[in-house]
Amino acid sequence: MADIPDLLVLKRHRDLEGLSTTLWWRRGILALIGIFLLLGLANVFGQRPSSVTASAPAADLKLYAPAHLRGGLLFSARFHIYAHRELKKATLVLDPGWVEAMAINTIEPSPIGEASANGRVSLELGHVPAGQSFILWIQFQVNPTNIAWRRPQNVELDDGATKILTIHRSVTIFP
Amino acid sequence: MDIVLRTFAVFAFLLVLTRVIGRRELGSLEPFDLILLIVLGDSVQQGVTQDDYSLTGAFLVVGTFAILQVFVSWVSYRFPRTRSVLEGEPIIIIDDGQLIERNLKRERLSRDEIAEEARNQQIAHISEVRWGVLETTGKISFIKKSS
Repeated sequence: MADIPDLLVLKRHRDLEGLSTTLWWRRGILALIGIFLLLGLANVFGQRPSSVTASAPAADLKLYAPAHLRGGLLFSARFHIYAHRELKKATLVLDPGWVEAMAINTIEPSPIGEASANGRVSLELGHVPAGQSFILWIQFQVNPTNIAWRRPQNVELDDGATKILTIHRSVTIFP
Repeated sequence: MDIVLRTFAVFAFLLVLTRVIGRRELGSLEPFDLILLIVLGDSVQQGVTQDDYSLTGAFLVVGTFAILQVFVSWVSYRFPRTRSVLEGEPIIIIDDGQLIERNLKRERLSRDEIAEEARNQQIAHISEVRWGVLETTGKISFIKKSS
């Protein structure tokens, strides 16, 4: 067997002795990549929005926003208030997690007033008559370097100084 | 710092990916592969630099890729045992004019593809080949039988 090319060993490179495990490594890593893609399809990495609703005798609040995001993504949050009774001074109070390392592109309709409520962002929306809805849209963009694991994004609906209800939620931002 | 870490992550992922997809995909560059390569480069760029349009950012990314590439080749040179992991090993696919089916199956190579590669190297018949070796680059080397 003097004509075997240099550095080739028949047992290894022709008969594949000792190389069978590499094939299984390859298959294993490909399977992991496949699982990763399936998780992506299952919305584990965002950004499909989901709805969360909270109800109280005075009003309902339905939040429609993604709970999983990735750096750089544009997304929208929709806050739908339905007043069972008149809300004289409807106010949404957002956790800092809503604006931490996020760019707010626009808020529609613009709140009447904005303030800090003990570190949270308070958006005063104004009067909502009984039996009517108020829908607020906020357009965000995640800062590319923003990474978060279950960062609280609670939303509180107040009528003036009276707390009506709270939606508890969190956001996870993947790099 | 982020940009360097992102580059590192992408480099590692691409290194693993090129090792696991097999040489069959790497050796040939047909029109579709070429388009895919461009799309791949663009997709990777978005993840690495994101909204960074700065010259500093570009230097950091290119520098990181260069350093990691040199590091991997140094590891491969300095520690020969890692070579099979980092670069793979050549696989003999033709022995004395006979295709080795088991090895072809492993690399997802068909008889037609081998025959095409042979014709590209002015070999009309596989039976003329003493050794056919699928190299780590994805290219196939044919060593003809001595007359």
